Amino acid sequence: MKKVSVSFTLNGDAVTAEVPVTWNLLKTLRDYFELTGAKEGCGVGECGACTVLVDGEAVNSCLYPVFEVEGKSVTTIEGLAGEDGALHPVQQAFLENNGVQCGFCTSGMIMSAKALLDHTPSPSEEEIREGIAGNFCRCTGYVQIVEAIDMAAKKIKQAG
Amino acid sequence: MIDYDYRKPETLEEVFGLLREYGPDAALIAGGTDVMVKIRNMKKAPPVLVSLRGLTDLRYIRKNGGYHIGGLTTHRMLETSDLVREELTALYEGASRIGSVQVRNVATLAGNICNAAPSADTAGPLLVLDARVVLQGPEGRRTVPVAEFFTGPYKTVRRPDEVVVEVEIPEETAGFGSAYFKHSRRKAMNLPILGVAVSVKLSEGDTVSDARIGLTVAAPTPVRARKAEDFLKGKPLSDDVLAEAGRIAASPECCAPRDSLRCAAWYRREIIEVSVLRMAKLAASRIKSR
Amino acid sequence: MTEYLFVGKSVPRTIEADKVTGRAVYIDDLKRPGMLYGKICYSRYAHARIKRIDTSRAEKLPGVRAVLTGRDVPDVRVGFLKDQTVLKRDVVRQFRDEVAAVAAISPEIAAEACDLIEVEYEELPGVFDPFEAMKADAPLVHEVDARGRPLKSNILPLPWKFSAGDVEQGRKAAAFTVKDTVRTTWVNQCCMGTSGCIAEFDVNGNLTLYSQTNVIFGHVGRITEYFNAIGLKGKKIRVVNATVGGSFGTKLDTDIYEFIAIQLALKTRKPVKILFDREEEFRALPPRQPAVFDIEQGCDAEGRLTFRHVTAVLDNGAYTSWGATTPSVMMMPMSSLYRVPNVFFQATCVYTNNIYCQAMRGYGNPQATFAVETSMDTLAEAAGIDPLEFRRINRNRPGDLTPMRLKITSCGLEECIQSVEERLGWKEKRGKRNGRGVGMASLIHVAGGARVTRSDGHGIMIKVNEFGQVDVIESGTDQGQGSPTVISQMVAEALGVRPEDVSLTFGDTGLALWDAGTHASRHTFMAGNAAIRACRKAKQQILEMAVEQIPGIVKGGFKRKKRKDPEFVPPDLDYGLISDPDKLDIRDRMVFPKEAPDHPYFRVPIHFVLRGALHVGTGQSKVVAAEAFYDPPTEMLDRELKGNLSQTYAFGATGVEVAVDEKTGEVTILRMVAAHDVGKAINPTLLLGQIYGAAYTGVGYGLTEEIKVKNGRVMNPTFRDYQMLTAMDVVPVEAVIVEPDDADGPFGAKGVGEPGLVPTAPAIANAIYDAVGVRIRELPITPEKVLAALRDRDRAS
Repeated sequence: MKKVSVSFTLNGDAVTAEVPVTWNLLKTLRDYFELTGAKEGCGVGECGACTVLVDGEAVNSCLYPVFEVEGKSVTTIEGLAGEDGALHPVQQAFLENNGVQCGFCTSGMIMSAKALLDHTPSPSEEEIREGIAGNFCRCTGYVQIVEAIDMAAKKIKQAG
Repeated sequence: MIDYDYRKPETLEEVFGLLREYGPDAALIAGGTDVMVKIRNMKKAPPVLVSLRGLTDLRYIRKNGGYHIGGLTTHRMLETSDLVREELTALYEGASRIGSVQVRNVATLAGNICNAAPSADTAGPLLVLDARVVLQGPEGRRTVPVAEFFTGPYKTVRRPDEVVVEVEIPEETAGFGSAYFKHSRRKAMNLPILGVAVSVKLSEGDTVSDARIGLTVAAPTPVRARKAEDFLKGKPLSDDVLAEAGRIAASPECCAPRDSLRCAAWYRREIIEVSVLRMAKLAASRIKSR
Repeated sequence: MTEYLFVGKSVPRTIEADKVTGRAVYIDDLKRPGMLYGKICYSRYAHARIKRIDTSRAEKLPGVRAVLTGRDVPDVRVGFLKDQTVLKRDVVRQFRDEVAAVAAISPEIAAEACDLIEVEYEELPGVFDPFEAMKADAPLVHEVDARGRPLKSNILPLPWKFSAGDVEQGRKAAAFTVKDTVRTTWVNQCCMGTSGCIAEFDVNGNLTLYSQTNVIFGHVGRITEYFNAIGLKGKKIRVVNATVGGSFGTKLDTDIYEFIAIQLALKTRKPVKILFDREEEFRALPPRQPAVFDIEQGCDAEGRLTFRHVTAVLDNGAYTSWGATTPSVMMMPMSSLYRVPNVFFQATCVYTNNIYCQAMRGYGNPQATFAVETSMDTLAEAAGIDPLEFRRINRNRPGDLTPMRLKITSCGLEECIQSVEERLGWKEKRGKRNGRGVGMASLIHVAGGARVTRSDGHGIMIKVNEFGQVDVIESGTDQGQGSPTVISQMVAEALGVRPEDVSLTFGDTGLALWDAGTHASRHTFMAGNAAIRACRKAKQQILEMAVEQIPGIVKGGFKRKKRKDPEFVPPDLDYGLISDPDKLDIRDRMVFPKEAPDHPYFRVPIHFVLRGALHVGTGQSKVVAAEAFYDPPTEMLDRELKGNLSQTYAFGATGVEVAVDEKTGEVTILRMVAAHDVGKAINPTLLLGQIYGAAYTGVGYGLTEEIKVKNGRVMNPTFRDYQMLTAMDVVPVEAVIVEPDDADGPFGAKGVGEPGLVPTAPAIANAIYDAVGVRIRELPITPEKVLAALRDRDRAS
């Protein structure tokens, strides 16, 4: 099996991965970079647990061939908190409003929320739900997640 | 064991060269949301994946006379385009309900129609918008009406050495209002159990001057319910007329829905009948609001 | 009313910040040095004889370290009825039978090796319907039982027969009687984190199982039994949980894949991880137990229930796990949901070649309550009484002793029903039959432990270090419901520290005392009561230290002051205020005399006391450590299946308003009111999370979810085709927390993990009936079923 060398930006750092050509971005993040926040919940793009941002857009990293990430900018859950460890408002809101229970969907859910808020800083409830429609959660019933994202949007607006 | 190599051409000429070089060993991949799933499920891959992602000048949504949508336009681009939402509303509705935001960010219009699932969400809308598929191969370009593009489940007229470079929609479509109903059990992350797309054009006194009805998951390919369309032409846009049109569209004259794991055939027919009426009225209201 | 500092407050889940930063380590993320990856090869037939297995090609694949078939492992039976072996040797009885297993250096190689294993089958006739399987001429799924004795029938020898009072009398006394048949089917728990474990033996043959289980000690017990049978008697077992990606009942048994991981680890002498992919999770994970109920109820002219007679048939699938024990829990709503004096309930479990079942949130209660609450509605109609009023008439009350001998202590059911009535606008909305309607259902569930094993105990150990930080070694496990936060609140309240001072470990048998299991919604109740008792002991130790230390601390302070200010005169203090531990207390990290809480000198930080007691300089150094093992004074079920198996019970009522599209049969939930008697909400925000999550799963159960099984094969093993709800499927839930304060609950709290799910599906079914006059008695209530029923209704009229 051929190996491919892919250079891209990962959470702000310039990196190069040398991985088998058939690897997807999820496996590259988890096994090569040991960033295990993104999870494989289904492997076929049907649950969102693997969601990361590529050039600011939320994608299912399990369906993203690693060779396509050349030159792009990837953000994962591990890259969300500030340099000093300060949690991103979405992360903080999830903790405050019980948006996280078992946590398995959380990495993907928060990245979808971040992408949403980056594009739509004051989303309506419907827009929030649409933004996370591709992220399954069995624990929360989504209610406190939607509330948390709304809380975070308001916090970001206040601060900004 | 899954193994493949890849190529990332930057121009169409390079694509054709690679397809020529690798012949049946090559497969095109755009967004990857169908191809990668297929590879995983079948546990094998074509020897060479030819990625189209580098052909960035095939991503566009333009109006000059008619509408021109580049083949590699993502569903997300369609979803967020004011032009598409306001003037090609059925296509907006189809594209915006595919999978999830994550899927729509990478999946392409060409990919959706080339995969040619009987359930493709853009197919019904494209049928009723009278779209034409523009294929380009090493020999040149050709245009195929979307109604002739699909030949069977997961089969199209596209030759292995061709790329869908554009979907064009004629200027006349601007006079129509359109709507697309995706029937599914939950509101996201679903293939449709049944899709009904309708476009209508009215003349004086709310008479239907032209109508198109596109059905998906109701036949081996997406189809136009032509007998129902013919029935509607020249008739007033009343509930009775629309109900009858729905009945015709749901009948064996227009479609052949099957019993499947997801749904029974009789229910699919019911949905077609009801939805033709509802979508026709919705489509008509969209003309009025322009 | 005590003013609590932390109990009753919505303390955020800061303690679990790892989950929002991608740092939490799930089984998926856990790696052990030299670890191999295991993969299971499943049967391709529902019922067949294995004629030949050829593993040679798999063994030759580079990277493969072990290939096992039924012939390579001892023929030892496992499972609660000991009716299956770890790898199937001669006969496969269902599609997900484990026929072989591979360990390799990567998951991809292991999967490829599986595909290279050639198995030759001789197909046998299968039976896929429990009613067919009960017939005399049905093919036998099992030919012999666990002891090798021949079996003559597919009916399992389980004692699910309950009788109280005199049903015949009840029938005679009834002015109105109704009969209904209801059906519930398989649904998947859909944990976002799939099943998996890592088995690792040390050089001495002792096992560490990295797990996700709810029952760490149950695991140890079952694996010990297995070890004894396979020649590993005396070897030690440690079960250690990783962070768990949801359980919802999937992790209450020791599953076959865990035994397989153990066998592969034994064979290779390396750690072996088995992790299900999503398709496996749908095909091979035992789901919720389906059931068909025939239920008959009657009431007198005033609407009081006079009897309830229920028989149930359960498709047991090919083997047994906890699905076959769901009738023991079904008995609770059957006998005790509402006041009903005469009850008969019998459940028959039947082997088929379908998939077998395990626990799922509610454990039989959702199924049974769908039956009871369907019948309550049809009976109310027969009696001409409003359905909500009918429930009110028959509601459980504090002090009741039910036919199952459950002792109802705190009971907020009346208030729950009232809440539903008011907040849903019941009176205004009911009875219109115009496409919109309301319906309701109630619930009873165990909420103070559940004596399903002879011990319902729960242990906790607490130590307090010299800095005033508390380590809690919890015997329960954490599935994400919020236990670390809730327990830290209760410990902080009981001990006098702050929640952020508390660290907890869960799910490690090497550290923990013992616990019956994190099931039956018992964790908060049990851990809280154990924590209160342990904290009482720890507090006593600290206060005894304080008696010794405070005088010295005070005098030391005076000395320092005198050095700075020679004019300083130490005040005359009444050391009698602090002369005895009983005179002191701790609150918010401060030790103080009860009679003078703001005393300027005797109010000292707790860590002053602790440090002083530790760093003594003589042989009198002391630390603070305490333990408690709480086993509530409840009863085992006797031979008649009666007994007060829980210390207290949860109640609740869910009301739903729906709109039904009469042209398509589609049902939209306009509003849901979920009122729950929780005793006391330790953390209201976390508690709401339980209600919301359970309600959503209940809506899925009622309207959209089903595992489609055809001739034993799971036909929809993907999220695409299994209709779990998304964030776009809005269910406007209004949760109402009713707090009657339970005398036996820690700070008054009762369990709530499962109740939220129980009444949801029947409330929806009842609302649909109110909206359009059709009653669907089979879950899920799909648009097809509604539309077909509407057509029948229109034809009939």
